[in-house]
Amino acid sequence: MSTKSTRVAAMEAIQEAARSDERIVIISPDAVAAARATAFREEFPDRVIEVGIAEQDAVDIAAGLATTGMKPIVVSYAGFLTMRACEMIRTFVAYPGLNVKLIGLNGGMLGGEREGVTHQFYEDVGILRSMPGVKILCPADAQQAKLAAKAMLEEEGPVYLRLGSGREPEVFEDGTPFAFGKVREVKKYGNDVAVFAAGFIMDRALKALEQLHQEGVEGTLVDVSTIKPIDCEGITEVLKACDCAVAVEDHNIYGGLSSAICEVACQFHPCKILRLGLKDVYPRSGVAAELLDAYGLSVQNIVDAAKEAMKK
Amino acid sequence: MTVDELSRIANRLRLDVVETVHLAGDGHPGPCMSIADIMAVLFFEEMKLDPENPRWPERDRFILSKGHACPILYAALARKGFFPYEELKGLRSLGSFLQGHPDMNKIPGVDTVSGSLGNGVAIGTGMALGCRMQGIKDNYVYVIVGDGEEEEGIIWEAAMAAAKYELGNLIVFADLNNHQSGGHVTDLSSLYPVPDKWQAFHWHVQSIDGHDIGAIRNAIAEAKKVTDKPSIICCKTIKGKNIPYMEDNNAWHKRTPTAEEVEIAREALRDKM
Repeated sequence: MSTKSTRVAAMEAIQEAARSDERIVIISPDAVAAARATAFREEFPDRVIEVGIAEQDAVDIAAGLATTGMKPIVVSYAGFLTMRACEMIRTFVAYPGLNVKLIGLNGGMLGGEREGVTHQFYEDVGILRSMPGVKILCPADAQQAKLAAKAMLEEEGPVYLRLGSGREPEVFEDGTPFAFGKVREVKKYGNDVAVFAAGFIMDRALKALEQLHQEGVEGTLVDVSTIKPIDCEGITEVLKACDCAVAVEDHNIYGGLSSAICEVACQFHPCKILRLGLKDVYPRSGVAAELLDAYGLSVQNIVDAAKEAMKK
Repeated sequence: MTVDELSRIANRLRLDVVETVHLAGDGHPGPCMSIADIMAVLFFEEMKLDPENPRWPERDRFILSKGHACPILYAALARKGFFPYEELKGLRSLGSFLQGHPDMNKIPGVDTVSGSLGNGVAIGTGMALGCRMQGIKDNYVYVIVGDGEEEEGIIWEAAMAAAKYELGNLIVFADLNNHQSGGHVTDLSSLYPVPDKWQAFHWHVQSIDGHDIGAIRNAIAEAKKVTDKPSIICCKTIKGKNIPYMEDNNAWHKRTPTAEEVEIAREALRDKM
């Protein structure tokens, strides 16, 4: 499966939007290169605010800019943004509901795989999900990341866009739509089991669905690209049809996609749901594919979990 | 306005604080008193504001970075006509829009959330950049920071960014009363001397008596002449200034005056308002 950078794709959308919206400005805590925004900076040199390695400052400056009507986008690594500048996001962006966009790079193990724990971030979604007023987008590949970035800019108020390392597997064909706030059925063989996934783990979830199909288990794969607000109605509909599910995410199992799915399920359609993600441990450095396999996110792990979920 | 008139306004604001914190039964009166003279000059002489149109894009901006001193901000806004004076008695009460710390969406005239210390200079940097990028000329972003909050690292992150972008439209007052919640600033940290540090960060630096109305005016005029650097006006001040039992007494960082103490304050300020 070929790869394409979600970072490049998202920035293409932002650069295109900036041509017709002069309010768009990028705030960089030394992250222009990381965010693949050098072309943006060449085209709009006055619309990149470079603050040096200072994420807290970047978020507060974005808040100040937004009060004047600008549309700032802060780009940084997911953890430096959501952890180091956590309070700035919460108090000075989310609380007043300012129109600040946040792009977090290296989301999950697939992000900073070889860098190790300091540069892998599996808490970002959980942190932001607990903040009132922040919307969270977790696109599955570059094609979706571009549409997600466009949707983010069209949405008023704080939005977080989770991106990866720049080597994300291509899952979706051109023309695949992106719907803000809605789940989307990626593939449906039947209602034996539902597989919910978000982000760059989608290719593995898709392979697992195919393998299940080969083995006679007919499942449905659902892309939950908007983790907040969560699509209660859409998820409930799938749960009612399948009555068991697996949730797959490149994030700690606490606070992210699987938590959100379980919150919906326990209120609207309680059923057996197995959760595949990082099991509350800090992983190691390694090649992405090996790392995901080592920490329980292989295709076989998903297949096994789906079969387990089907057992009553 | 004359120096005497502004000085009387500052004292009126001080008494407003004593009275409203007493009625609310909660708040930080001491930190309001050291900035009263700066507030009087900014709100009643210097700043371009329109109480009828609080979000007027070309207005000057004001950030009370030491947001716990909001009773005096609310008093200034009320006396400026942003909302009825009677509203002050609702301070910190459910049902009132006067939140425990400034809220830009609930309180007319408040330009940003503040209260979590250290953030005002960075937010002001963003505002100053935003105004400049949109071609708004002849407006300024004013920030008041406490001395204790300059212990926060983000202050210095913002100091670097504002200097890098040569924000001549950003004017910061440092309220140097040498008190913070836990004691003297000089005991809790190695922050002092303050002006040297801002100098090192390439700011235009002035040092004045923060209770000298004339000096505050002059310092603002000087700051406005510098167009390629942000300005800091380091103000030597007295926490609790002009309220006899509060002066330089950190017990009044957060404390509610009794009815008797309100009377003492009224008496002390009677001929000075």
